[in-house]
Amino acid sequence: MNWDQLELDPRILAAVRRAKLKSVREVLCVSGLDLQRLTGLSCSDIRQLLTAAATACRRHPPIPALLLHRGECCRLGSGFRLSVGCPLLDKLLRGGLPVGGITELSGESGSGKTQLALQLCLCAQYPTQYGGLNSGAVYICTEDSFPIRRLQQLIREQPCLRSDVPPSLISSLQFSDHIYIEHAADLDSLQVCLSRRVPLLLARGLVQLLVVDSVAALFRSEFQAADWLERNKQLLTFSSTLRHLSQEFTTPVLCINQVTNVFSGSDGSLGPLPSNVTPALGLAWANQVMVRLMMRRLQETVVRGEQSSALRRLEVVFAPHLPREGQDAAVWREGVRGVST
Amino acid sequence: MQRPVSSLGLSPSVKVKLVNSGLQFTADLLHLKPLQLSKDTGLSQQEALEVLQAVKTDGGGDEARGGRVPASLTALELLQQEEEMRSIVTFSSQLDAALGGGIPVGKSTEICGVPGVGKTQLCLQLSVDVQVPQSFGGVGGQVIYIDTEGSFLVQRVIDMATAAVKHCSLLVEDDEQRVAMTTFTIENILSNIFLVRCHDYVELLAELHLLPDFLSDHPKSRLLVIDSVACLFRQFDDLSLRTRLLHSLTQQLIAMATRHHIAVVITNQMTTRLRGSHSQLVPAFGESWGHAPTIRLLLQWAGSRRMVAIYKSPCQMDATIQYQITSEGFRDADQPEQSQSKRPRTHTDQ
Repeated sequence: MNWDQLELDPRILAAVRRAKLKSVREVLCVSGLDLQRLTGLSCSDIRQLLTAAATACRRHPPIPALLLHRGECCRLGSGFRLSVGCPLLDKLLRGGLPVGGITELSGESGSGKTQLALQLCLCAQYPTQYGGLNSGAVYICTEDSFPIRRLQQLIREQPCLRSDVPPSLISSLQFSDHIYIEHAADLDSLQVCLSRRVPLLLARGLVQLLVVDSVAALFRSEFQAADWLERNKQLLTFSSTLRHLSQEFTTPVLCINQVTNVFSGSDGSLGPLPSNVTPALGLAWANQVMVRLMMRRLQETVVRGEQSSALRRLEVVFAPHLPREGQDAAVWREGVRGVST
Repeated sequence: MQRPVSSLGLSPSVKVKLVNSGLQFTADLLHLKPLQLSKDTGLSQQEALEVLQAVKTDGGGDEARGGRVPASLTALELLQQEEEMRSIVTFSSQLDAALGGGIPVGKSTEICGVPGVGKTQLCLQLSVDVQVPQSFGGVGGQVIYIDTEGSFLVQRVIDMATAAVKHCSLLVEDDEQRVAMTTFTIENILSNIFLVRCHDYVELLAELHLLPDFLSDHPKSRLLVIDSVACLFRQFDDLSLRTRLLHSLTQQLIAMATRHHIAVVITNQMTTRLRGSHSQLVPAFGESWGHAPTIRLLLQWAGSRRMVAIYKSPCQMDATIQYQITSEGFRDADQPEQSQSKRPRTHTDQ
């Protein structure tokens, strides 16, 4: 931010320039007395300077929550949700994924995490009246190569999954043109992707959903047990980048996470868990997550026509707006659907 | 009392000129006129005027004390003042009892806990509770809610507001309460919550700098929530800068709490501390930050039960209380004999 944009006496601005303060933001981090010493200005001048700098730095004055509820401040994100594409699962999530904040989906391998993520990439492309965001999605793979065949199958089967949407609309959407796939094999390339390419896509309005599949793979593979301090630091940087993107562009961020086994010696201070596994990456990562979902594979099998699927259960571990509940689900040819019991 | 000129909030060059002309103490300046001062010292008229203003407002001598510096109070007056200020109820009667009425107005309270234990829920609950009309024993105030994590979801506030309105409407006994109920509606509750979203620490500092003006414009404000401080300050390379910023932030919060009679509620994350071979969960930011809040509440899990512990409080006993988060908000845990929970529990494999 430029100094000239502040509405201040030229005398004060000149003193600030002499003091070699680089940015408006820096002024707020220096204490009032230090500022006086650096700039040689009087106390009342400093007060003016700080007020001007603070006004320039804040995004908006306090807004009554009522306006937010009525959706009059789109910048702050209204009650918008990204639908999951199945009424039963949407009911569990009270409409779908919230648009500002990190949603984590963890589960054992084969529990259907990637299936749900792929489905969300398609759901995001529907117009808002069908629970979508009317925009594309960016999918960052760190674990495996992107399951492109499965995506094609899901696209073909969309009319079957979304019977609420007119078929003419579905056939008019070019689903695969609006999914941007990134492969990041190490942390550096992930960082580059998140700091350069993804903001560009988001700023141009090409995408409105960010999926990282999975966060655990890189952080678990690149660090030894003894490097936990460095790992936590990297993890915090990574998650604050994600949070920043999510809030800046009011875009939902879905992070897929692996799970680790809980040993019987653990004290359960992180809360009761639906099973004997806990999401990977520990407390440092959990602090950054707003909505934590868990997918489990159950023993039973459900059969529908000639298709059969292992029964899954999607559970809310925590979320500011959701109770701890679960919903049975199954993976069919057309995607993940809730199973009513 | 003699106050040296050099201690005034003036620019150094002005101070040097004053001292060089033999004006050492503020008492020397009190009887001077701006024109005379500028002639004597060689300051410009503008500067001379500022010097005299600074002398007057910063209290040059006891009788010339300006309105900004509060007069000293006796302990009795303080006690009377504190008794006039009501606390904000939490809607958990056991926790209220343990805290001596609820979250005190005019003090700062920190809520620590692991993710998902209910920190945000308690903050949202307090934002609704602070608006309970005075005829119902509430505070009837407004809220400033600084959300740094994006976890302020209006949907959830509406749940809690609906439950609170319903709860109060069942308690109506006299006409005063009936009148109060006409304004205690979900719409009014939402319009009395002022939301600020901060994405990084500079925005938070900027907001706190401007907040005193907002509080003066909204004298009914009784609660300031920051959910959470931790998430903005966790990734910091320069730890000494972080400590300094956190301390100045604390000072600002305490000043606001006492001057504008608001309760300040901040949330903090937990972190793992290694002690020898075993690890322990402790609130983030270490020991020095622990001095900042007046009251510290620790939310934690004990098996599948949620417990809140009073960890630090100058006037209440240590206590640990069980609570639950229902669809209506933050509530007392059900008594064991009527153990049917209001919310469906998650099913386990067995």
